[in-house]
Amino acid sequence: MSTTFLSDPAERLRASVVGIANRARGRRAAGAGAAIAWSDDLFVTSAHVVTASHATIVTRDGRAVPGDVVRRDDERDIAVVHAPGASVPAVATANPATLRAGSLVFAVGHPFGVRDAVSVGVLQAVSPLPRGYGLNGKGSFVWIQADVRLAPGNSGGPLADAQGRVIGVAAMVVSGVALAVPVPDVERLLAGIT
Amino acid sequence: MTDDRTTLAMLSEQLADAVATAGAALVAVHARPRLPSTGVHWKDGVVVTTEGTIRRDDNIEVTLPDGRRIPATLAGRDRGTDLAVLRIAPGSLPVATLGDPATLRPGHLVLALARLDEGGPRAAFGAVSATGGKWRCWKGGEIDQWLQSDLDIYPGFGGGPLVDAAGRIHGVNSGGLSRALATTIPVATVNRVTAQLLERGYVARGWIGAAMQPVQLDATSRQRLKHEGGLLLLSVEPDAPASRAGLLIGDVIVAIDGQSVEGFDQLLDVLGAGDVVGKKLRLEVVRAGQPVSVDVVIGERRRAR
Repeated sequence: MSTTFLSDPAERLRASVVGIANRARGRRAAGAGAAIAWSDDLFVTSAHVVTASHATIVTRDGRAVPGDVVRRDDERDIAVVHAPGASVPAVATANPATLRAGSLVFAVGHPFGVRDAVSVGVLQAVSPLPRGYGLNGKGSFVWIQADVRLAPGNSGGPLADAQGRVIGVAAMVVSGVALAVPVPDVERLLAGIT
Repeated sequence: MTDDRTTLAMLSEQLADAVATAGAALVAVHARPRLPSTGVHWKDGVVVTTEGTIRRDDNIEVTLPDGRRIPATLAGRDRGTDLAVLRIAPGSLPVATLGDPATLRPGHLVLALARLDEGGPRAAFGAVSATGGKWRCWKGGEIDQWLQSDLDIYPGFGGGPLVDAAGRIHGVNSGGLSRALATTIPVATVNRVTAQLLERGYVARGWIGAAMQPVQLDATSRQRLKHEGGLLLLSVEPDAPASRAGLLIGDVIVAIDGQSVEGFDQLLDVLGAGDVVGKKLRLEVVRAGQPVSVDVVIGERRRAR
């Protein structure tokens, strides 16, 4: 086996991940979370990352592109940001339901402000949380549960399979387990946006 | 598609295969409030889990891979090694395929598995961090091999197996034996303890009924007796193996069964052996500066519960 391991799929995915922050008037945005280029100017992130109706995308080459929050689902913790002119390569996606427990997964995000950091692990389950993992009633949603390290700054970033296809949006950590919103739920929110 | 992508996808598939293979022999154990723990179907009708996750002795149930929930009875528990054994109806699910932990080396890819509900098995992924020989954990039990990994033992993963990339089970993971790293109770220890728990419901450990302290012998005794030190008897319980054998306060035990004794570890190794209870062992003792041989019939340590 070559020594490159995940570097090829990780490099391709990193090109589609941007920083995102609430747009504060007159101040330069800092990368508070991550967002995923679903098309060249449409970005998916966590609703808790973009609490206002405007947000600024920070591309990998350092451009700050203003955008509007065009859809949000606070319950499912997903938001869609339209940033015209961002021109970031779009990701490929896959349905996590096709993956088995133990499949390799990796996350890209900005944990504690480190840009485009990669962490790797395996899929645990795509299901509601087990009884005993408390999550204020949200445990009955279907979550991607993974053994992969996430930290503040990963929110809104992708969780991907071994081929670099995005399977979910990193949301939070519960009982040490990384949780991501599955792609089908994201696509439900995106339905109708062109 | 490049070779790298194919290789990586194959590794991913292999890991998922390993989870499916080993996961077929796992149950969720319901023996505590809220979160279940994981059990391994070690032999037909016999489930092994960690002792710390068994909070009640009755009304225990297990969830099988097919989602059925069936009753289980507690065959026994051993705090010293953090293992507990349950009996379930034979033929309920496949039996675990065991590996040889001696073949694992630091850097080998491994998985920790769990089953928490009627859903599929769950997995955590990492590498073997350290291996070594026999050791004694802080709970007092003898663990046949040192086997630590960088796996996260998530809630409910205790009692689940350490699995190699081929799906073989190398032991039972315990979150209770060490803080920093995941500790695995290896196959040999599980086999040894399980056999005793099935036979008598507990692990018998030897007892002689005396309090001791390690001491160095004085220079002349060291030279004359060819022993560096031993265990000094501080008190001897009445009607105990030590008193029945005529051991006295002030005696220094320097050898047991021909093996030098300089500290508690050697004594505990002898008393921890599975078949020691009832055996007559020869103690070499220094009494008032003179070597004396004393035969002791090893008793059985009283149990905490």
